[in-house]
Amino acid sequence: MKKQLIMLRVNGESCELAVEPQRTLLEALREDLGLTGAKEACGTGECGACTVLIDGKPILSCLTLAIEAQGKEITTIEGLAQGSELHPLQKAFIQHGAIQCGYCASGMILNAKSILDETLKPTRDEILKGLEGNLCRCTGYNKILEAIMAASMGKD
Amino acid sequence: MRIPKFEYFRPSSIEEGCSLLYKHKPEAKILAGGTDLFVKMKKKEVFPKVIISLKGIQKLDRIEWDDRGGLKIGPLVTHEALVSHPIVKGKFDFLSEACLKIGTRQVRNMGTLVGNLCNASPSSDASAPLLVLETKLKLVDLYGERVVPLEDFFVGPFQTVLDSQEIVAEVQIPNPPRFSAGSYEYIHKASSVGESLVGVAVFLRMDPKDATCREARIGLSSVAPTPIRAKAAERVLKEKKLGEKIIREAAEVASDEIQPRSRPWYRREMTKVLVERAILRAMEKIR
Repeated sequence: MKKQLIMLRVNGESCELAVEPQRTLLEALREDLGLTGAKEACGTGECGACTVLIDGKPILSCLTLAIEAQGKEITTIEGLAQGSELHPLQKAFIQHGAIQCGYCASGMILNAKSILDETLKPTRDEILKGLEGNLCRCTGYNKILEAIMAASMGKD
Repeated sequence: MRIPKFEYFRPSSIEEGCSLLYKHKPEAKILAGGTDLFVKMKKKEVFPKVIISLKGIQKLDRIEWDDRGGLKIGPLVTHEALVSHPIVKGKFDFLSEACLKIGTRQVRNMGTLVGNLCNASPSSDASAPLLVLETKLKLVDLYGERVVPLEDFFVGPFQTVLDSQEIVAEVQIPNPPRFSAGSYEYIHKASSVGESLVGVAVFLRMDPKDATCREARIGLSSVAPTPIRAKAAERVLKEKKLGEKIIREAAEVASDEIQPRSRPWYRREMTKVLVERAILRAMEKIR
């Protein structure tokens, strides 16, 4: 199968790359663009480690074709910090010890960002429901929840 | 895990999609959300050589509603769109609730209702509410179209009447009549994606004068080879005043209509509990 030239908008920048149709967005981000924040764990859409935002909504990049992500605004964990200033959620995750092995962290933070963007002050239950698709194998859910609650309090 | 190679087409109209499908069947698959198809391809359960994506066709992600025609849902409408749509939330609230139960936040943002129906899992959450809403599907191919009631669409686990050259172009749901309401109750397995163990939807229409049940529909998922209607149980309720005894009896009869493949005792008992609960909830909404 011939490669196709596609244009992706990632973290505000346009990137041109050549991909075969079966290439997933996750593979394109990690292997073609060097953005290794999104992770592959289950590969079948159950764990959420590959979560990125498309037009602000969390999706599974391991089940999305790179060619179908054209013309959309893609946000990865690498795009959250403003220069050297970390995003409030990133700071909160560090402050609350919400990162152990870090494998789930980029998906957790991006999904949390979309939850906070949609709901100004989400309840504990709303956050838990929102995070149902992000698994943490170190069982750090309490600290993750605390970090997100803290970040939601900190914003006005 | 990699997706095996395939040839990719992106038609710009349903007609073009149908002709591509006709040309490449039976090796072609339609792509909507991809949350079922790509998992099956990665697990090497299906091997389509050709994928025809609907994403290039305009307006397929629309939800339309009017007084006469009811609700029309396009094949690219995601579960999330149904969860947050004001009219679906208002007039078809229990369908919206069932969609919120599907998968995870990420899956709901990607997966489509039509894709979920075409996958035809016996445990499809939206199916029970759709069955009691008397949903129909518009199927199109190169030669024309046909409209199939959802009840006749499912033929077995992961099997439908959809021909290899047909596309589901629309989900059609009539407006519920006055003095009616529906509800959805479920329990799910303890797994990451929370697949349902039993799903029950109930739709009731009551007589406003004397509170007699004029119409009763019960839809069940996860308890038979396909989502089903529990018609014997429906007959128990029809033209009756709904009290404890009748509701219990209907729940009992519904639990005899199921054909669970695994954990039959537990599924039967839970069917009783959930049918009873769903009837009571629907009644409360009508009051």
